[in-house]
Parts: sequence; structure tokens; C-alpha cells
Amino acid sequence: MTIDRRKLIALGAAGAAATLHPPLLWEAAAAQHGSSASGDELPAREASWYKKLEEGRVECELCPQACKVADLERGMCGVRENRGGTYYTLVHSLACSIHTDPIEKKPLFHVLPGEKAFSFSTAGCNVECKFCQNWEISQFRPEQVQAYNLPPERLVAAARRNQARLTAATYGEPVVFWEYVRDVAIAANAVGVRPTVVTNGFIKEKALREVLPLLSAIKVDLKSFRDEFYRKQVRGELEPVLKSLQVIKEVGVWLEIVVLLIPTLNDSAAEVRDLCAWVKSKLGPDVPVHFTRFHPTYRLTDLPPTPVASLERAWKIGRDAGLNYVYLGNVPGHPGENTTCPGCGEILIRRVGYRILSNRLVNGSCPDCQRSIPGVWS
Amino acid sequence: MTRLTRRELALVFGAGALAGTAQARMWRPLVQSGVVGLAEARAELGKPLGPEKARLAMAGALAAAVGAESGVETVAALFSPRDVVGIKVNCLAGRNLSPRVELVEALVDLIAEAGVDRRNIIVFERSNRELQRAGFTIRESGPPYRCIGTNNDYDREPATSGAIGSCFARMVSTTCSALVSFGVVKDHDLSGVSAGMKNWYGVIHNPNKYHDNGCDPYISDVARHPYIRKKLRLTVLDGVIAQCHGGPAFRKGGIFELGMVAASTDPVAADLWAWREIEAERSRRGMPTLEAAGRPVRFLATAAKAGLGVDDPARLSLVTA
Repeated sequence: MTIDRRKLIALGAAGAAATLHPPLLWEAAAAQHGSSASGDELPAREASWYKKLEEGRVECELCPQACKVADLERGMCGVRENRGGTYYTLVHSLACSIHTDPIEKKPLFHVLPGEKAFSFSTAGCNVECKFCQNWEISQFRPEQVQAYNLPPERLVAAARRNQARLTAATYGEPVVFWEYVRDVAIAANAVGVRPTVVTNGFIKEKALREVLPLLSAIKVDLKSFRDEFYRKQVRGELEPVLKSLQVIKEVGVWLEIVVLLIPTLNDSAAEVRDLCAWVKSKLGPDVPVHFTRFHPTYRLTDLPPTPVASLERAWKIGRDAGLNYVYLGNVPGHPGENTTCPGCGEILIRRVGYRILSNRLVNGSCPDCQRSIPGVWS
Repeated sequence: MTRLTRRELALVFGAGALAGTAQARMWRPLVQSGVVGLAEARAELGKPLGPEKARLAMAGALAAAVGAESGVETVAALFSPRDVVGIKVNCLAGRNLSPRVELVEALVDLIAEAGVDRRNIIVFERSNRELQRAGFTIRESGPPYRCIGTNNDYDREPATSGAIGSCFARMVSTTCSALVSFGVVKDHDLSGVSAGMKNWYGVIHNPNKYHDNGCDPYISDVARHPYIRKKLRLTVLDGVIAQCHGGPAFRKGGIFELGMVAASTDPVAADLWAWREIEAERSRRGMPTLEAAGRPVRFLATAAKAGLGVDDPARLSLVTA
């Protein structure tokens, strides 16, 4: 028997879950949908955001790609299919990756520090980042990866068994499984588990607004502040992502932003400065911005990892721009991982990688100067 | 565009020399740029063509495509006995608008008669299910030939070709040494035409990423990857029943009885012929051109610029059997 890397990753994820709670693996395996090695048809649910066009075509209204899809065809995400003039999602409850992570891994630094997030993903993505870290699930179709039937209620039950106070739709791109995200959030809220999302933010406003009130926190990857980068490296657009950030802020869901700095492509001081100025003026100084380190992968293997000096420059630019919470990521042990009080300058939460070394917050405030630190702390 | 008979073409290109070339030590597959061989093959929708008519049509189209005396002779000019021949069929639209089994089997027989071991002739599509829906029988190891889905057996790392970055099916990257695109003649709601070239979308893991801008330059980028370009020997189009509107799925209102089988060593020319036939039928029906309907066929010009074949109608030679 041979096994490819994608299956190995999926099994690894399942194995990790099994380590945490053996019955989960059994349940998952028992309900497993085979990747369509034999061409088995995937289960389908009617999509929530689309409109019907003439002659059996449909137009997806979930993301700004706005795919117009003919019968038997799929949208760019690869997980939504037109079957006879009705548009279906093929990934609702079809998790291909499940794992319990520290919330710091998302990263959501201002959300229940040190708590576990029961994390899940399906196959598919609505863009194609050349530097995707999870391309082995995000850039594949659901029948091409090992997946598990994990309906929302069972997912949330698994989260509780694993002592996870949060769920996190992550790894791939939650926008493409937005109905699943919504239904998991409903199930989670019903039992006091907090649902979170890690997304590219490339989503239409209506779909975003319909699900946002169900979420406790959301992290958006702002991949660049240049539309040209979005078009060439991501096959998306900048403007809809900026719009999403503003909508999230307006609705009041806790928001953090991650910017993956890629040498020569999006790490110029000018671009970082523009980005930070926009965040401060449109979202306010209290939205955390994480600058994280790139490592070569997928279709971008000819660039080196981001020099730490570039990250530190961005860190300084962000703070100089007046942002109160600027972090560095993928640089374990760097002081840029810590949360510092903008009032008195004392370190409040000390981190190394995904570990919390100390947390001095008292009821969400600095114990030294009593300044309130924004976030989801309880 | 010129219309020649097969015998005239044979005189021009020297079929005898072709046979000699096939047997030479430095064997090279034949390429006839701009030439499309055509043979009549008529059957109503849903009715079988019959093995004899299928054989006649396939052999005729093949011989016409290269100016050879027989289909077997043509095949010998295209495939080495040592080849592992992969025949990619486009079965997305199901039984009514996929390559007819009898035509595909006629091609298999001709390839086998030219000396290729039947165990090394593989009819394939993305999945077993798609093949079965189109009427094929899954044959993991034959006989009389292998017929299997690639079933998500892709290379582990993506390969880049122009704008695309895809994992190719190991069937084309590794297993096969020679390839045939066996498509149908049909309209496509985004690329305009889906015939022989777009069929190669079925060997990459992420075709859904490459449908914007009329699938251009992506169709060309897939076809010019060395896995395809260096191995592609032949394009065959089942035009017994064609579709001028409503594709790529089967739509009865768009169907017409074209009654032709086409073969070419030039993938661009083959698609150019398909495009012309679709436009002709649309014109007969008073329908707008594909361009006017919002789906201009851009990918052929891009493919021609990439050196994959001839897209100039003035250089298209249609040779009837």
C-alpha cells in the first residue's frame, strides 16, 4: 500500500485528534467519505449564497470572484458545483484537517490566551497564493483529499471533549466552507464554546455580515497593501479585503490582522508604512497587526525566508505609526511576541512561540497602570 | 483553408516515406501542421455507431490526417511499439456527449495492430465513475486494453507552465510515453470551445483555478507543458454528435448531427476545425457567434503563438477520407 503526502497529513491530523480523544478517530473513520478514488459522488448541500442565471447557469455570491458556473462545473474554489442549475457546496461537514491548537497559533493574541482552539478545515480556497503554506489542502478539491464526516454538533462535542474553549475555522480558507462555519458557530454558541475564523477576508459583504454576529473573533490575512500583489501573487483583489476589515470592525467582532512579509514582494518600508497608516485611520490603533516570517513553499520556492531585520523594521514602522499592538510571528523568542501595555510600557503577556510564559492581565487591564487592554479575555 | 483528398495528401507528403520513417532506428513521430483528417460517421443521438462504421471512420480520419494509405500505417507513423499510449477521453458530459466507446476501441485496435502491446494502451479519464457514466468498462489491467480513472493519483509537487501551477496526473507525467487527446466537439460557456485542447484540463489537479478570462492563457499553458507537448501524438474528435450551445454539459437543445470524426497531429488545427463547425451550426440557427455571445475563443491564438499548432484558417487543410 502506498500513501501520498496529502493522505499522510490528513492521517496525521486525525491521529493527533485521536491522541487527544481516541473515540474521535473512530467516529471519524467510521463516517469517512472516501476521497473519490473510485469516483464516488460527494455529498452535497445547496449553497446559501448564489443566484440562478438563465439556461441552468448560476452565479456565486459568496466571494468577489463571482464565478458564473455552468452545469456540472465548479467555481474557482473547487468545492461548489452546479448540478442542474442548483449550486451546491460539497464540503459542508466534510473536514479534511482537525486538530486542537493553542489559540496563539492562529494567531489571536488577544483572545483567551493559552486556551485551546479546536481547529478544522475542508479542502479548497477561493484564491491561489503562490506562497500558500497549506496548499496541500487549500489548493485541492474535496475528492482529492482524505476527509471526515464531521457535522457541526459532533465537531463542537469533540471540541468540548478536548477541553477546547474555542473552535477555529482555519488551515484552508473558511470562506469556501462558509455554510459549515456558520453552522459550527451556531452549535458552538449554543454550548458556550467560542467560534473563531482565520480567513483571507476575500468575501462578499452580505455573506460576511450574515455570519459575523455569530463569531467571537476573526483573524484576517492581509497579504499585501498593493493590488498588484493581490492580482499577481494571490489571484485576488485588495479592495474587497479592505472592505471586509472595515465591516468586521464596524460590526464589532474582535479582529486581528496578519501580514506575511515576503522578501522583495511586499516588505518594502513604503508599503508597510501605507498599510499601518490605513489600519490606524480606518480600523483604529487597537487592532493587533502581526508581521510574520515567510518560508519558501508551494510555487514560491526561489525566495529566502524573511530576514529578521525586515520583520523588525516593520515592527518599528507599525509602532511609529501609532499602532498599539504590533507583533512578530514565526520568530520564536523574539520580544515582538509579547503584549506590552501601551500606557506604561510594561510587558503584560510574555510568549515564546505558541506558549504563554506569563499573563499579568487582571480583568483585561494592565495591573500597573490599570489601562484597559482590548480583546476577548473571559 | 484548402480541402484535399487523402490521396492528394499522400502524394504531397509521401506516405511511403512515412512508413520508412516509422521503421527507422531514429524513430520520430509524425507531425502534419495544419492538417485535419475527416471521415464521415453518422448516427442519431443515443444510437450506436456500430464497430464496423467506427473502424472505417477512425481509420479513414487517421489516414487522411497524415496522408497514409491506411489507419494502421498512420498509427505506425505516430507511435513506437515501445510506447505506453494514454488516450485521454473527455467524459464530463456523460454518455450523450462523450467520445463513443466504439470509436475509442477502434483507435485502440489500430494502435495494437501497429505493434503496441495492448497492455500498454490505456484509456483514461479523471475518475472511474466518469468513464462508467460515459459507457466505458473499467479494466484495471485489460484485456483488451486498460481503461481506468486517474483517481487523484497526481505528482506530489506542482509543476509550473506559464501561468499555471499544477500537479499533473502521474498517468501523463510518468506512466505514458505517448498521448492522445480524444475529445468531442462542443461549446463551452467560458472558453467558447471544448474539444481536444481543453480536454487536458482533466490531467491537472486544479482545473477550477483556470477558467477565468476564457481559460486563456491557461489551456495553452497546460498543453505546452513538456508532459503534454513532448508526448502528444494525436488529437481525435468525435463529431458524430456535436453541441453548439449550452456546454460543457449535455444540453439537448444545443445538439446537432455533425456526422464527422476528425483526427490531427496538430492540436490547434483540430480545435480550429471544431470551432468552425460550432460557429457554422450557430449561424445556421441564427445564433450569435461565440464572441458575440461573450465567450470568444482566445486560447487558440495563444496556443499558436506558443508554437503548439496552426490557428490560421488560411493554413488549415481539411482532408477528407
